[in-house]
Amino acid sequence: MTAVADFEPKIIGFLCNWCSYAGADKAGGMQETYPPNVSIIRVMCSGRVDPQFVLSAFEKGADGVIILACHPGDCHYKEGNCRALQRHGMLNMMLEQLGVEKARCRLDYVSAGEGEKFSRVIREIVETVRALGPLLVVPDHNSEILSTE
Amino acid sequence: MKVGIYFCNCGSNIAEKISSAAVVEAAASFPEHPSVKIVDFICSEDGKLQFEESLKLEQPDRVVVAACSPRDHEATFRRCLTNAGMNPYLMQMVNIREQIAWVTEDPAAATEKAIAAIRGAVCRVRLQEPLEKKQLEVCPDALVIGAGPAGMKAALSLADAGRSVVLVERTPFIGGLPVRFEDLFPAMECAPCMLEPLMGDLLHGGHAEKIELMTMAELVEVTGFYGNFIAKIRRKPRHVSLHECIGCGECVEACPATTRNEFNSNASERKAIDFAFTGVLPNVPFLMEDVCIRANGEECRACKDACPMGEDVVNLDEVETIVERTIGSIIIATGAGLYDASRVIGMGMGTLPDVYDALQFERLLSSTGPSGGEIVTSEGIAPSSVAIVHCVGSLDEDHKPYCSGICCQYAFKFNHLITAKLPEVSITHYHRELVVPGKEAHALLRHATGHKNTSLKRYSNIKDLAVTHDNSGRLQVVDATGDVTSVDMVILCPAVIPAEGVDKLSALLDVSRDSFGFFQELHGRLDAAQSTLKGIYLAGACQEPMDIRSAMLEGMASVGHTLAGLQPGRMIEIEPATAEVDETRCAGCRLCVSVCPYHAITFDSEHNASHINAVLCRGCGTCVTACPAGAITGHHFTNEQIMAEMEGVLK
Repeated sequence: MTAVADFEPKIIGFLCNWCSYAGADKAGGMQETYPPNVSIIRVMCSGRVDPQFVLSAFEKGADGVIILACHPGDCHYKEGNCRALQRHGMLNMMLEQLGVEKARCRLDYVSAGEGEKFSRVIREIVETVRALGPLLVVPDHNSEILSTE
Repeated sequence: MKVGIYFCNCGSNIAEKISSAAVVEAAASFPEHPSVKIVDFICSEDGKLQFEESLKLEQPDRVVVAACSPRDHEATFRRCLTNAGMNPYLMQMVNIREQIAWVTEDPAAATEKAIAAIRGAVCRVRLQEPLEKKQLEVCPDALVIGAGPAGMKAALSLADAGRSVVLVERTPFIGGLPVRFEDLFPAMECAPCMLEPLMGDLLHGGHAEKIELMTMAELVEVTGFYGNFIAKIRRKPRHVSLHECIGCGECVEACPATTRNEFNSNASERKAIDFAFTGVLPNVPFLMEDVCIRANGEECRACKDACPMGEDVVNLDEVETIVERTIGSIIIATGAGLYDASRVIGMGMGTLPDVYDALQFERLLSSTGPSGGEIVTSEGIAPSSVAIVHCVGSLDEDHKPYCSGICCQYAFKFNHLITAKLPEVSITHYHRELVVPGKEAHALLRHATGHKNTSLKRYSNIKDLAVTHDNSGRLQVVDATGDVTSVDMVILCPAVIPAEGVDKLSALLDVSRDSFGFFQELHGRLDAAQSTLKGIYLAGACQEPMDIRSAMLEGMASVGHTLAGLQPGRMIEIEPATAEVDETRCAGCRLCVSVCPYHAITFDSEHNASHINAVLCRGCGTCVTACPAGAITGHHFTNEQIMAEMEGVLK
């Protein structure tokens, strides 16, 4: 895999409504600029993020996915973030088997007050995925995901 | 399908970075070829009016509002849709201000990102469905568990508001723990005197008829859910009528059987039929069946015969009953207890005489206690030297890691009371930390430190302290430095823990507890008076160690929730953005039941399918994701809607 010059990664960010989405709003309120590569999809809880959303994001052209949750113990729905963590672990294994680098799918925690952390996490994922280069998906008849060689 | 996009400039906030002209141009190639209306401030009064008028005129099937965060104004714009005669769930907001315009340096990049996000919203909104709020009739009445400070305050305030209250108390009396104390910190008020008006109101006040007090009772089963609970309560027989007894005590005099009195820490005797302690309210004795000589098959009706109020007041044949009540909400106010100090090695609790825990010492201080309020050792003499050990089991990883919050204050209260009664006594406080928060507590600390014979010694680990006795049998405290202090009495301040029986109660209510066994708040700061289950509220020390002031406030907070949530004649609205099971696709694996944090999902074995209670569901969607059969729909956040948004963004 080689990084392509001028490559601007497309990244999907699944943000829970209560902490991380509010953290993103906080970053906005603080006018904390960050690269525009992450498109945010709001879900009520990180526990709603279905692994198939992530696989589908890669299939539909995303080069990276970031799932942001409430900090452990702070979940608005008590333990949805724990479910997200479990599912992320499972996703990592699946992605590895599919030849997709684990670093393309990150899970992190951002509270409603952590505007700075939000923009930092966004900058980091953009840099990580930029370094990995584009994810080329070659859909075969089973619609499986293959990474670039 | 007609989709209308409303693009808000937000003055220059959005317009400065995102070109509305470019959005208009791009929208022409979006699915459904939506029209774009540019508004300057859509959330302003003019803006909303303009928006509503436009909706009425254009009659779009779906609406996208590209503006600020939905956390700011989703509710506002949903109302606009309702005002315009549309279903409010047919709108999707795009956060182009906080999450694009304000955070993207380059206007061209911001515009491109906004166009992708709006395209995603258009793709999503096409799949959004009209949702209707369901309504449910509710019972406005409440069940309060525990008649201590928090429970009494809650019951009285609900009754004042015209609500009927069932007040269930496990012991034979009301007032909780503090009614057994002599004086209270921080102002050294007489405890029974302070609580008496409250207790009197509860029993005989203007709204007392609204309160159904059940003493010696406990909750045994609860079914239903918020707004419509059915509670079963076990009433143990008191054998004396609460309403007809005048509290003269003739029956007590006549009773031939005696036992130790648990309400005096077993430090005094009582009759089989007796008051819990002097001055107790309700001022009615109760009969301990296992102590009464009738338990041995002997015939006795001495108490019944002694009663001057008639044949029916003492009822020897009364049996346990189970009563059923319908209520809309439940307030848990079960209070606290003390950690068993004998589990802290080296403190002498339970092995050495004249070593007391705080509750035992409160009874020793009390004028209604076993010694009539005289501070005396087990030999009946006044102590000349007393040790008070703070933090027994608190701030201790081997026991309870938390600070119990109230102990320092009552320890200095003890100091005040002991020195008042025994001016020449010397007192040594052994403390790990000193915690005296708030505007009043310092006075007692200052009083103690200002007393000529009071000293404070700090220790770092309770293992370094040892309560032993010398060769003559006199108590002594040895500290880490080997310093020995001879004393006649040791008072231990053990960690404050949840009251006995909360494990049973939490199991039957399905309400979570924290790792310390206290009831878990819905949110420790935002919603500290709500449990994790809807309609079940927490008040007082059942959720953490707290003083009377906090317990009373918590009692009021729980009342606030009850009054705001359930009102007579008003139905409750059920949020439609919840999850629903398609019974025909459910395979019956019950994974959803195990992941739901709100116990909103039950398994219907008759239909072999899970069922989600829409009142209890909060719409987190974790069950939707967990369901291996894809049988659960998360309304307003369906798989299809989320995927469509994602695809639209990535296109």
